[in-house]
Amino acid sequence: MTLSQTDIDRGLIYMGSRGRDVTDLMPLVTRCAGELGEAAAPLYIYKYFDIEFTGEGIALKGTELTLSGESIRAHLNGCRGCIVLCATLSAGADKLIRTLSAYDMAASFVTDCLASSAIESVCDEAEQEMRERLSDKFLTWRFSPGYGDLPLTLQPPLVSLLDAQKRIGLTVTDSLMLVPSKSVTAIIGVSDKELPRKVRGCTSCNMYDSCKFRKGGDHCGA
Amino acid sequence: MELKALLERKEFVYLDGAMGTMLFDKGLKMGEIPELLNLTKPEWIIDIHRQYIEAGSDIVYANTFGANRYKLSRSGKTVDEVVRAAIKNAKQAAEGANAYVALDVGPIGQLLEPAGTLSFEEAYDIFKEIVIAGEEADLIVFETMTDLYELKAAVLAAKENSDKPIITTMTFERNGRTFTGCSVSAMAYTLEGLGVDAMGINCSLGPKELMPLVEELAKDTSLPIVLKPNAGLPDTITGEYSIDEYEFAELMTELIPLGVKIVGGCCGTSPAFIRELKKAFDVKEYRKPLPSLKSVCCTPANTVFIDQPRVIGERINPTGKKRFKEALLNNDIDYILSQAIEQVHAGADILDVNVGLPGIDEKAMMVRAVMALQEVVDLPLQLDSTVPEVLEAGLRVYNGKPIVNSVNGEEKSLSTVLPLVKKYGAAVVGLCLDEEGIPKTAEKRFEIASRIVSRAEAIGISRRNVFIDCLTLTASAEQEGVMETLNALERVRKELGCQTVLGVSNISFGLPAREIVNSNFLTMALTKGLTLPIINPNIAAMMQSVRSYKLLANFDVGSVDFISHYGSTTPQPSAPAPAEGGNQNDLPYAIANGLKGEGARITRELLKTTDAMEIINGLLIPALDKTGSDFESGRIFLPQLIQSAGVAQSCFEVIKEHLAASGVKSESKGKIVLATVKGDVHDIGKNIVKVLLENYGYDVIDLGKDVDCQLVVDTAIKEDVHLVGLSALMTTTLPSMETTIKLLREQHPDCKVMVGGAVLTPDYAESIGADYYARDAKESCDIAKIVLG
Repeated sequence: MTLSQTDIDRGLIYMGSRGRDVTDLMPLVTRCAGELGEAAAPLYIYKYFDIEFTGEGIALKGTELTLSGESIRAHLNGCRGCIVLCATLSAGADKLIRTLSAYDMAASFVTDCLASSAIESVCDEAEQEMRERLSDKFLTWRFSPGYGDLPLTLQPPLVSLLDAQKRIGLTVTDSLMLVPSKSVTAIIGVSDKELPRKVRGCTSCNMYDSCKFRKGGDHCGA
Repeated sequence: MELKALLERKEFVYLDGAMGTMLFDKGLKMGEIPELLNLTKPEWIIDIHRQYIEAGSDIVYANTFGANRYKLSRSGKTVDEVVRAAIKNAKQAAEGANAYVALDVGPIGQLLEPAGTLSFEEAYDIFKEIVIAGEEADLIVFETMTDLYELKAAVLAAKENSDKPIITTMTFERNGRTFTGCSVSAMAYTLEGLGVDAMGINCSLGPKELMPLVEELAKDTSLPIVLKPNAGLPDTITGEYSIDEYEFAELMTELIPLGVKIVGGCCGTSPAFIRELKKAFDVKEYRKPLPSLKSVCCTPANTVFIDQPRVIGERINPTGKKRFKEALLNNDIDYILSQAIEQVHAGADILDVNVGLPGIDEKAMMVRAVMALQEVVDLPLQLDSTVPEVLEAGLRVYNGKPIVNSVNGEEKSLSTVLPLVKKYGAAVVGLCLDEEGIPKTAEKRFEIASRIVSRAEAIGISRRNVFIDCLTLTASAEQEGVMETLNALERVRKELGCQTVLGVSNISFGLPAREIVNSNFLTMALTKGLTLPIINPNIAAMMQSVRSYKLLANFDVGSVDFISHYGSTTPQPSAPAPAEGGNQNDLPYAIANGLKGEGARITRELLKTTDAMEIINGLLIPALDKTGSDFESGRIFLPQLIQSAGVAQSCFEVIKEHLAASGVKSESKGKIVLATVKGDVHDIGKNIVKVLLENYGYDVIDLGKDVDCQLVVDTAIKEDVHLVGLSALMTTTLPSMETTIKLLREQHPDCKVMVGGAVLTPDYAESIGADYYARDAKESCDIAKIVLG
């Protein structure tokens, strides 16, 4: 893959640049972006499910899975179905970050941030594809386990629902971390009619848990 | 009848098709565990097996693909119950039908270290449990594997706990790699070495897409080739597969000329596919491929074909190196890694690994070194030890096909080392010496070489996996012996056809201008047929000799490699102009601007005239303090801080080397244990902290990631450590952090704990009993200063 300017700009934000002069850092960032582009092999899969709102949560029809919590209920409000998405940069990205950490920690950190940024673009691409294929439908934005009160314990069932280990090499550890680490699972609501526009704030950012700015009561500027 | 007999009797052997696809048709819900149906709906399973057998399957795979401890953990059923029921169902279906039942084993579902958290031994145990539960099966199949390391654990578990035939198939993507980056050739050479009975490819793609991969495989193995493709490619939305049984059978026949023998279908196939497949194949003839297998060693991602001289880097070896010895004694694995990476960048193809030193546990160190090296380096390793137990420990955890260094002509060596080489499918270096020492003449050395080769072949190790070392003697002491070595080498290459190894640097011992002697001797040896020089690739003259030889001997076709290394006519870029107030000798400038090589060079210069401690306290620490405060004030941001720390690190390494050489022990400000807690595999934050702490003169004992809670405590007690730093990235791993702190409080009360990591807050840190919360890497240094001074 080739990292876009958007990937790089967002990666710099993840590095904590926030309006600083990044000129001196750009040779390193460019080199890392090139290496990451070669090492990463982005893959994604998704599948549509009809949904049913029940007392326990939102049931995905034809499966054993029910999504619990208020946040996902609000997110899928007005939807008739949802798409489950699994995406990953694959093991190569992790391996590059790991290798670099043995002799160039700065490059490792920069690559890590760029990879976090790049997986967002992979999801964007997948979402764009869905929107084109379902052009007569209206889609919500991506909602992932860990956002709001949607539990991380959903990771294993979502991954197995799509058979994502077999199809894109995505696994979940006992502590509910996705491996390869630069991966995303997400739920996108599908509706027949236009949905009220919801604010997409910090809670729906993949960096939500780990964001230094948010912790300091601040905002990254993205 | 055994599988082996079946393979000989039949032109083609037919496997079955999909189990999952059939089960969904019968009503299996997505997300349910299909293996439980062996107990709840045995009639479904038996029916599916029968349909396949009626369609022509010689072998059916029992419904045991995911029947492992991990995947069944929440089902309330044991592996033993599920696997036994599955085999029973399959056997019942096969009864009287002349079909065989395979214990079918898929991936565990968790990735092995270093990518995931599962250890090699745990993986072995999980597979062992399945193999034992499946003892009633006729053969064992490992399929849909994407991690060669996991598959190695599986094959070892099968071989050590049963004597059934083993078939393995891995799953590749269009780029010719599995998800974890394993290539077809690495799979082929590693698994044939481990002694499986047949191997191949299943799932992911259809027969058409798999064609180039089968073609590649046929060149890399002499074993029967297995192919179980999908029914084409699935539609991304509907999941429907793209080809029907007729097209499938038709496309499969096109693979017969490539050498497929054992065939079936994977996802999206049904009994109809097997029926058509058999119909199409029964009228064809098996075309056995005749590959000319090469001398090879490999990692999953990097197969080194020894079809031309390949450089073995010699630097991971403590002999005569004080700094290396110190690193081994201090368990300093990072130093070993730095030696590896330097050689990688210098152009080595293979790395020799010798960690033998009196006073250390060589076996444990060999395992640690191999694991650490394969985590970050993609070069195959040559495991170097005189102790068979050390070699075996290294061979076991090695991922790929390694080289063993070495066996020799002594009976004791032959009878202990060669069986290990055979079992683990390695290549081996054979030294031309025996009970009587190193023979003086070429004739005698050739005799020993021949003996080693025939002993290897007697237990099934091909001579292409025996690399003969005719032994370099020192020219200054035994000048007349130099040509004997080279003459022996030439005969070995020509008459035995073996690859040849030679440690080159020894030749010049005791002479001046050693590089001149070494590089010329190297060229002489290469022209005599040396294929595996063991050298120091960091010395430019040595790599120059190798690269010029490869050019002149027409290996480097079009001089591509040579030109890429030496073709630049422009001089190396000089260091950027220093900022105002700085000059070329300015260490602080190098640190502030991330100039690693410059930092090391200046330090080396300064050490000629300045005391080491003066450099540290007068230059390095103030420079670090400056970048630290720039970071705090927001003038620079994290990547720049880390870059500066990296430069300082290279300066410190120069100083350490200097001190070790002059016999002075480097001063430490105290020891700190760092760990990313149990369950957490994301350790970049911890690694950044480590670099900074080391800069400030602390000895960091880095336990890595996913670290067992008790290990942190044990290490702190054993090493008398009074500051422990713990990192966690996920909310789900915070409980491990809390447990670790609790254990420390109970067992090692006078130890302070600092915590950090993305999800932590000062309040939370306090609530789990930590003494300090470090907001960032810089703050952890401030805390260390408070606690340890």
